[in-house]
Amino acid sequence: MILPRKFLCVITDEHLCPVKLAGMALDGGARMVQLRRKTASGRELYEWASRIQELCRQRDAVFIVNDRVDIALAMHADGVHLGQDDLPASAARSLLGPDTIIGVSVSSAAEAEKARDDGADYIGAGHIFPTFSKEKTSPPLGTAPIREIAKASGLPVVAIGGINMDNLRKVMAAGASAVAVISAVSGAIDPVSATRTLVNQIWQ
Amino acid sequence: MVVSSGVEHLSNRGLAVAQSEALAGSVPVIFQLREKGLEAGAVHSLCLQLSPLIKASGSLLMLNERFDIALATGADGVHLPESACPCDIVRKAAPGLIAGGSVHGKATAVEAARAGIDYLLFGPVFPTPSKEAFGPSQGLDALQEVCRSVSIPVFAVGGITPEKAYACIENGAYGIAALGPFLDTGALCATINRFQSFIDL
Repeated sequence: MILPRKFLCVITDEHLCPVKLAGMALDGGARMVQLRRKTASGRELYEWASRIQELCRQRDAVFIVNDRVDIALAMHADGVHLGQDDLPASAARSLLGPDTIIGVSVSSAAEAEKARDDGADYIGAGHIFPTFSKEKTSPPLGTAPIREIAKASGLPVVAIGGINMDNLRKVMAAGASAVAVISAVSGAIDPVSATRTLVNQIWQ
Repeated sequence: MVVSSGVEHLSNRGLAVAQSEALAGSVPVIFQLREKGLEAGAVHSLCLQLSPLIKASGSLLMLNERFDIALATGADGVHLPESACPCDIVRKAAPGLIAGGSVHGKATAVEAARAGIDYLLFGPVFPTPSKEAFGPSQGLDALQEVCRSVSIPVFAVGGITPEKAYACIENGAYGIAALGPFLDTGALCATINRFQSFIDL
């Protein structure tokens, strides 16, 4: 699986049906969907993942499973996204083989270099702005480190954390290849048009 | 015998390591690690530490649900709760691993056996605080019914003491599984031997 150039990644939240949200994100033009639901059981994740993967295949979009390499292996997901506290990327790479996309969350250039050496295909950099979607103890990075992280790793950087239609262009201008959002889509009154707006801004 | 370990309701982070070290002097058991409170990265590094200890002792290391971590750390198998990814899917993705499962009734036991599970934990047979979430105790008759309905080994779980282990075996259980009795790592081998003596009666 090859990463698209400049794209929007929509991540599922803890409330909406992930399959429904994925469908709306794809309708709005998102090229990547990430299934993330920390409270779900393995069976739920497997069932959602199978259905979202099918939707993504129909639209030629990329489907990524957060944290659960087991679920990604079980249903042949396009990729996984790993945090610093998840299974090490090197271990995930040996399990998943060379063709599965692996993304790793980092908050510094040093972590980004390590992620690249461990076999990551893209870097998730954040959180850029203050966010309430995930509990954070560290201060936001701001947009300045994005270019440094991209340079250090030589990999596409997906910026995440508090990004919305008001600040997205600043993030892209700072060197991000893509943007990942949770609440900017899942919390919108109309998730399809919210996605469309964000996608349009990425390409502006 | 299945020795379950987990710190989700305890504060003893070194418990699983101490237990694995103690197993060196024990008859082989299935050591089941259930660390719901830990992130996958921490479970991965814990398993890397446990795996060689358990292997050297002749016992088997089973990891709850995360077969990816089991594969990455050389663990022997994966234990699937009823809410886990379906067994036949896990089997396909990780054919080299042993797969155990937890069931709480006859119907799910038969279904799990059909899906290719290697062994089952059934319970809670007796009242127990650590399995309260799984409802009231089901008793020895229910255990016997489940054991008769499948041809794979069934381990009785929930409130099992050495003295009660014999009754479980009499009612068709292949062995027993417990967590509480094995928390005292200093007495682990003695406790296992005591269980074993009732299982072998």
